Amino acid sequence: MIDLEQSEVIPDMWKDVFDSEDIRFCFNCGSCISVCPASNASPPLLIRRLARLVLLGLEDELLDEDTPWSCVSCSRCEEVCPMGVRPFELGLAIRRWQVRNDETRIPPSIVELYKEGYTQPVSKAVALRASVGLGELPTIDKYPEMLKGYQDMLMATDVVSNNDYMFKG
Amino acid sequence: MSKYGLFLGCNTPALRPDVEHAIRKSMPQLGVDLVDLPGFVCCPAFGTFPSADEDAQLATNAWNLSLGEAEGLDLAVQCGSCYSSLSMGSHLLKDPKKLTRTNELLAKGGRSFKGESKVRHMMDVLYNDVGVDKISKTITKSLKGLHGIVQFPCHTLYPSEVVGFEPDKGPPHVLPDLLEALGATVEHYSLEYQCCGGAGGFHKADAPAAHNFLKSKLDAIKTETKADFIVVSCITCLMWMDVQQKPLSEAGEETYNIPVFDYNQLLALCLGAPAEQVAAISTINRDAVIEKIK
Ligand code: SF4
Ligand code: SF4
Repeated sequence: MIDLEQSEVIPDMWKDVFDSEDIRFCFNCGSCISVCPASNASPPLLIRRLARLVLLGLEDELLDEDTPWSCVSCSRCEEVCPMGVRPFELGLAIRRWQVRNDETRIPPSIVELYKEGYTQPVSKAVALRASVGLGELPTIDKYPEMLKGYQDMLMATDVVSNNDYMFKG
Repeated sequence: MSKYGLFLGCNTPALRPDVEHAIRKSMPQLGVDLVDLPGFVCCPAFGTFPSADEDAQLATNAWNLSLGEAEGLDLAVQCGSCYSSLSMGSHLLKDPKKLTRTNELLAKGGRSFKGESKVRHMMDVLYNDVGVDKISKTITKSLKGLHGIVQFPCHTLYPSEVVGFEPDKGPPHVLPDLLEALGATVEHYSLEYQCCGGAGGFHKADAPAAHNFLKSKLDAIKTETKADFIVVSCITCLMWMDVQQKPLSEAGEETYNIPVFDYNQLLALCLGAPAEQVAAISTINRDAVIEKIK
């Protein structure tokens, strides 16, 4: 339930969350929920509800929501939404908004990406790769100048530069 | 001969390199040359930069795309998440403002991106470049007598405007057609279009619900078909459907042991590649199917 009496409302909050005006066209049909695998989770991911929270400007409720993080990125909602809201991308935008407002939301995997370039040990799976007859790949750690360039590039983005202590060392 | 930059991502080369070897062995035999991309990084996966910072997301997408573009190559991708992330990135980078900002960032890393290099899924390349006729004519072994069902990777279907490569409107048929080209009988069932549920944060948020979601699919396959195997073309579908059958069997009365293959693995086997190289890693034993490929 969304309790408007109890909540503080931030006008135009949607502009800060999602850089798409199309979110305003959401008419609550629920098509996004009807096709969503993660609507089976408990608590359920209900994209329609998240769109309401964004449009109504309910900052505290939206900051507390864990459900945007249970999306499987299947984009079924994106396919069926009759109003072009792009619900999957809205879910990602809500995650980013949470990350901007609460550093505990920063996914630890982005630190791995910064340091190694990968979310899995691509350059370390030497024995497993050899067991199926494959050699090593031209991974970025083998090109120190490229890795440095990649890190310099990321250091110029907000999430890395504003939280640089996480990425160094 | 067509030529692509081979974008492998993280999961395939690190966890299922037999799938990588299947791709490397099968595609050139069908006239598709694959070139490695030195200095590639994670696509980035949706749970990483796309969930944290759009500039970092698009810069990372463009970093990978620029590696192909510098060689005049489009990218060929098997992993559904990589394919979707790179396709979404390319799509967003059609916005000149985003492309300009991304190039400012890329310049700090000594790279640039014009927006020319495209992203193609392995199934798309096989179906639309190579064609099912050529596949049927080139294989030396076949799946004749075997029944299979397909798991459509969501990331290759939706949103169709951004990622789609099906030639017609209506139900997708590229993967079933590719499987039939190998001689298999493709069966259909009620939950065919249901997601496997393995990607992203669903199972982290509620593991029992994610397991039940997969169980409903496996139950439908078991009761409605004579499937000897499941074929996918996405590393996440492959690992999730292969690895989770064991805990599902241990948790209940029903036993689940349906072998799962990536399409390129079956293709490579039909082209005579050794199973020790192209279909060596799995939780569910696949020998019974491999032995019948003659
Ligand atoms: S993309 Fe996410 S929110 Fe949309 S249907 Fe799939 S799991 Fe649900
Ligand atoms: S499908 Fe689109 S219009 Fe309907 S509730 Fe979901 S976001 Fe809103």
